[in-house]
Amino acid sequence: MSITVLNPGPQATLQGAARQGLRQFGMPASGAADPLAHAIANRLVGRSPDATGMEITFGPASFRFERTMHAGIAGAETEIRIDGVFQPPGQTLHVPAGATLSFSPFVAGARAYLSVSGEMAATKSFGSASTYLPASIGGHEGRALRKNDSIAVSEVFSAPVVRMPMELRFALSHSYALRAVTGPDWQEGMQDQLGPFFVTQRLSRMGVEVEGGLAAISVAEMRPSSAVLPGALQVTPSGRGFLLLADGQTTGGYPHILQVIRADRHLLGQLRPKDRIQFLLRSQTESEAALLAKQKLLETWLPGFRL
Amino acid sequence: MMDTSFRIVPCGDDALRIVSGPGRVRHHLAQYLAGLTDWLEIVLGKDDVTVVFDVHVLSMAAARRRLQAQVSDLPELTGTGGQLHLLNAVFGGTSGPDLDAVAGANGLSVEDVIEAVCGAELEVDMIGFTPGFAYLSGVPQSLKSQRLATPRMRVPSGSIGIITGQAGLYALEGPGGWPLIGRVTEALFDPHAVKPFRILPGDRVRLVAERGP
Repeated sequence: MSITVLNPGPQATLQGAARQGLRQFGMPASGAADPLAHAIANRLVGRSPDATGMEITFGPASFRFERTMHAGIAGAETEIRIDGVFQPPGQTLHVPAGATLSFSPFVAGARAYLSVSGEMAATKSFGSASTYLPASIGGHEGRALRKNDSIAVSEVFSAPVVRMPMELRFALSHSYALRAVTGPDWQEGMQDQLGPFFVTQRLSRMGVEVEGGLAAISVAEMRPSSAVLPGALQVTPSGRGFLLLADGQTTGGYPHILQVIRADRHLLGQLRPKDRIQFLLRSQTESEAALLAKQKLLETWLPGFRL
Repeated sequence: MMDTSFRIVPCGDDALRIVSGPGRVRHHLAQYLAGLTDWLEIVLGKDDVTVVFDVHVLSMAAARRRLQAQVSDLPELTGTGGQLHLLNAVFGGTSGPDLDAVAGANGLSVEDVIEAVCGAELEVDMIGFTPGFAYLSGVPQSLKSQRLATPRMRVPSGSIGIITGQAGLYALEGPGGWPLIGRVTEALFDPHAVKPFRILPGDRVRLVAERGP
């Protein structure tokens, strides 16, 4: 009744619901870096949007299913194989007992999500099964998965085979237009320098470093520390930007100049080195309209999911 | 009623910031707002309090109106600060690798620095950055210290860092850029404890130097 990790890839963790109300103690939300892809993977096996699943980074990765289960996979562009046989993306997969499910190195996007028709065993901490590596809590022993780890799966059920509607397939590429509103440290004159930025090699569940754009930024002095949230773009003294993700720090002292809007924030979990980013400045009203529109598109097929 | 002419500004598209200035008023604001049910997160900054709202329920304009109304109803500040914690600490050596440098740069002996830090009653300004990291104010301003040019990749949990006017307690092991003068010997964060976070904003801290072997 388990899944054996044959190769976790550069980093694989168990992620479930986001933690809430703990930022006052310095504890971030965690949960999937791309919550939309996580919800889609869960939907493919008939599970709720934030049910515990596996977040796999960059690939390649492979897992042996010790019993027959259904699997749902979403997120990064990767070739999925079961015992070497290529599988179509965006639909429920049937994985027989003893079979190996493998992911090729991802060609676009940074994270893929694997959900199964059963409950993956994870330790709950502060109300959530999500792994938060800096505090060694949640998930599988509070750590990233290793080769030969065995993830117990209970309450296995048979999931009906479903296909993801074509209109919900957000194509991942190497170039992103991310809509953003101004941050509290925004300054006039920045609107002409919102790209392109390029993702550097420094990237984790805490955040993504970007360079380029804002060529003339010279405002990178420290400010008195204030709250920062996922989606914040801060400018560091090195003149680079740092975009916060699900495990990002809760407060920071670098100028916070942009905030990626709620509707587009899920994409941040898919940024990989060398990806190109253009920020598009939006008003609060436009941000609200964008959220409503995307939420409406998603909720017919993803009931209960909130961007 | 208090003077509640605080500026309220957006912090992105799902959060609002009350720019209150430093000091205890922030703790008071945060405590008051925590008693209401509108805010998903309430986060203290050095000079402000930020609240996160549910964008699926409130628009920015509606959230702002609500917060403005609540803040203008803020009851009078009462109370005299939080709990006092006496924390045992060891200074210098591998526990405080920068103690000698801090003392040298200030023209003081190591004992003078320890006395200055332990002699002051420190106040927990805010908790942030990573779980349980405590920003303490009240370190004598005369003791000068600035961030390391190159942050350490690994600072042990319990470490005490100082930069001019303030001390930082690293509840978790992790990267850090504050010069380290010592280490608190008891755990500041224990995820399995009933009270996982030992120190809370508004609490007071006195460091007690343990004699070395």
